[in-house]
Amino acid sequence: MNLITLKNKNAQEVSTLLETKGQDSLIEKFTSLGLPHKMTEEYHYFDVEKLLDHDYKTLDYIPKSIEEGEKVEIVDGVVIKAPKGLRVYSEICESIDMEHFDGLYYLGHLLSPRVIKIEVDGDAHVEILHKYTQSDALINYRVEISNQANRHVTMYENFETGDISNTLVLYGYDMHIAQDSTLRMVRLQTMSDNKYSMVSSHNVNVGKNANVVLKNFDLGGDNALQVLKVELGEHAHIDAEHLLYLNDDSKRGTASQIIHRGEHSTSRQVAKNILDGQARGIFDALIRVEKTAKFTKAEQNAKSILLHKKAYMVSKPQLEIYIDELEASHGATTGQLDEKQLFYLQSRGISYLEARKILVIAFANTLIETVKDTRHQERIKDAFEAVFYASNKE
Amino acid sequence: MSIMKIENLEAKIGDKNILKGLNLELEAGKVHAIMGPNGAGKSTLSKTIVGHYDVEITGGDITYKGKSIKDMEPEERALEGIFLSFQHPVEIPGVNNAYFLRTALNAKLKYEGKEELNAAEFLRAMKKHLEMLGMKSDMISRSLNEGFSGGEKKRNEILQMLILEPEVIILDEIDSGLDIDALRQVSEGINKMKDGKRTFLVITHYSRILDYIEPDYIHVLKDGKVIKTAGPELVPYLEEHGYDGIKED
Ligand SMILES: Nc1ncnc2c1ncn2[C@@H]1O[C@H](COP(=O)(O)OP(=O)(O)OP(=O)(O)O)[C@@H](O)[C@H]1O
Ligand SMILES: [Mg+2]
Repeated sequence: MNLITLKNKNAQEVSTLLETKGQDSLIEKFTSLGLPHKMTEEYHYFDVEKLLDHDYKTLDYIPKSIEEGEKVEIVDGVVIKAPKGLRVYSEICESIDMEHFDGLYYLGHLLSPRVIKIEVDGDAHVEILHKYTQSDALINYRVEISNQANRHVTMYENFETGDISNTLVLYGYDMHIAQDSTLRMVRLQTMSDNKYSMVSSHNVNVGKNANVVLKNFDLGGDNALQVLKVELGEHAHIDAEHLLYLNDDSKRGTASQIIHRGEHSTSRQVAKNILDGQARGIFDALIRVEKTAKFTKAEQNAKSILLHKKAYMVSKPQLEIYIDELEASHGATTGQLDEKQLFYLQSRGISYLEARKILVIAFANTLIETVKDTRHQERIKDAFEAVFYASNKE
Repeated sequence: MSIMKIENLEAKIGDKNILKGLNLELEAGKVHAIMGPNGAGKSTLSKTIVGHYDVEITGGDITYKGKSIKDMEPEERALEGIFLSFQHPVEIPGVNNAYFLRTALNAKLKYEGKEELNAAEFLRAMKKHLEMLGMKSDMISRSLNEGFSGGEKKRNEILQMLILEPEVIILDEIDSGLDIDALRQVSEGINKMKDGKRTFLVITHYSRILDYIEPDYIHVLKDGKVIKTAGPELVPYLEEHGYDGIKED
C-alpha cells in the first residue's frame, strides 16, 4: 500500500481506498486535516511525504493469545506477552480525540480501529517493548493506556528490531490519566541504519489533579517524529522532557501542543538537543493557554548543542495565551561545546575524544539523571555512549 | 640540570604579539618565581607551555626533557608531566568533580601502564589530600568548579596537582584571592610536592606566598620578555621599587 494515494482525496474516495465501514466521523476529520505534507505546520521540518510515498507491504493484526512475560511485548503491532496482573487486550477504540491537530492521528485510528488496550490497576511499573521484524512493511497500531485514580504508574517504553530495512511505523498512544494519579513514561528509542522510520501521534488527557511525566530519549539516526497533543484539566500538571542526540543525516524530533484547559494547571517542557553530523533536530512546541485556564503556570525551554557545522536544530518554543492571570516563560538557545571547558579537561591529560564525551554527557545528564531507576538510567547512559562512539572515533 | 628550556619564544593571541623573544630555563627540582606587571604576558607564557588554543607560537621553541613540545597536544603534555594551575579555572556544570578527578588520574595511570583505580579506591586515596587542603568532602561530589568560591577553585587546582603528581608545576597566581588560612593550606600542599625533583614555576604579584614556598630563582617578566633573573633577595627590592627601576640583565 502506498499512503500517498490518500493525498487530496475526498471522504468517499478515502473510505473506498481504506475499505472502511461506519467510520464517517473519523474519515471526515482525516480528510479535513489531510495527509500531512511539507506545508503542514507540524511536519514543516520533517520530510513526511518521502516516508509516505512508498509501496509498503501491509500486515494482518490478528490478536494472539497473550503469554505471560515480564513486559508487554508488541511484535509488529500485535501483543504476544504481558505481565500477570496487567489487563491487556484488543478492542475497538471508543475514546478517540475529535480535536486532534494531526491527520496521521486519524489515519492511524482508521487503519487500526482495534487498539491495544493497557489498563493498569494500582501502583505499578510496566515495561513495554515494541519489536519490528518486517522489512518494507507498513506497521500501524495504536495503544490506549489508562490508569486508576490515586495511583502511581511508571512505564518504560523501548524499541527493538530484527535485521530489517525500510519499514514505516505509524503508531501512537491515547493516554487517559485518571484524576489524582501520576503516570510517568520513560521512552528510549535508538535508531540506526534505516531499519525503520516512525511517526508516532499521541494524545494525552490529564485529569483533574493528575500528574504526567514524559521523558523522551531519542537517540541515533534515521527519521522519526513524535506528534504529541496534551490536554490539562484543573490542577493537572505535565513535565515533558525531550532529549535528542542525533547523528548522520537523521531527522527527528517532536511537534507538540500542550493545551491548558483547567484552572491552576501547570506545564514544564524542557528540550535538550545534541546534533552531530548532518542531523536535523526538531522541537516545535506550542503551549496554548485557553480562557478557562486561569492561574496557569507554563515553562518551556530548549537548549541545543551543535557538534558539527552541518548539523541543524529547529527550535520553536511558542506560547499562545488567551488570559492574563498566568505565569509563563520560554526560551531557546543554540551553541557549541565550550572550548575553554574542553581545554581544561585536556590539560589534565584527558583525551580530546573523552573530553568531548564528558561534556556531551554532562549536557544530557540533567535529563538522564532524573530517571531515578538505576537500571534504566544505566541503560540510557549506555545507549547514549554507544551513539557517541558511533559518530566519534579515535 | 635543566628540565625545560624556552628559547626566543614569540607568541601571539589573535593579532596581538605578546611574547617577544622570551628566554627562560627551568632547573629541575628548583622553585622559579615569575613576577611582573599586569599584562606583561605571564599567563600567556603559562598557556603557551601547556598548548592553549588561544596562543599561536610565531617563533622560538620550548623543549621539555630535551624534546620540543611545540607540536604536542595539550593532553600529551599533561601526561608527560606538565601541569598548569589556572589563574581562572573554568566551571563545568554537569561534570561531577570526583568523576573528573578520577578520569584524569586514570588517564595518567593508563599512560604509565599502571592499574587504574575504581571509585572506592580513588575516594580513599583522596581523603588525606582533602583534609590537608581543608576541603569539605561535598566539594568533590559537586559539579566541577561550579559555584566554587575563588579560594575553593584554587584549592581544587592544588588537589589536582597532588593527585596527578606532575613534574613541572606551573602555578598562575595561585595566591590571588586566598585568605590567610587558605594561603597556608595551599602552600602546604605545594611544599608537599617539593621533593627536590619536581620543578615549580610560580607566577605571583605578592611576596607573601614566596615566604611559604621559598623560591630559588626570581625572574622578572616585562613586555613579553624575561628581563632579569636573580635570587630571592630580589623580592624585597621589587616590593620597594616596583618593576620600573629594574635594569635588564
Ligand atoms: N584572549 C586574548 N585576546 C586578546 N588579548 C589577550 C588575550 N589574552 C591576553 N591578552 C593580552 O595579552 C597581554 C598579556 O596578557 P597576560 O594575561 O599574559 O598578562 P599577565 O602578565 O598574566 O597579567 P596579569 O598580571 O594581569 O595576570 C595583555 O595585554 C592582555 O590584554
Ligand atoms: Mg595573568
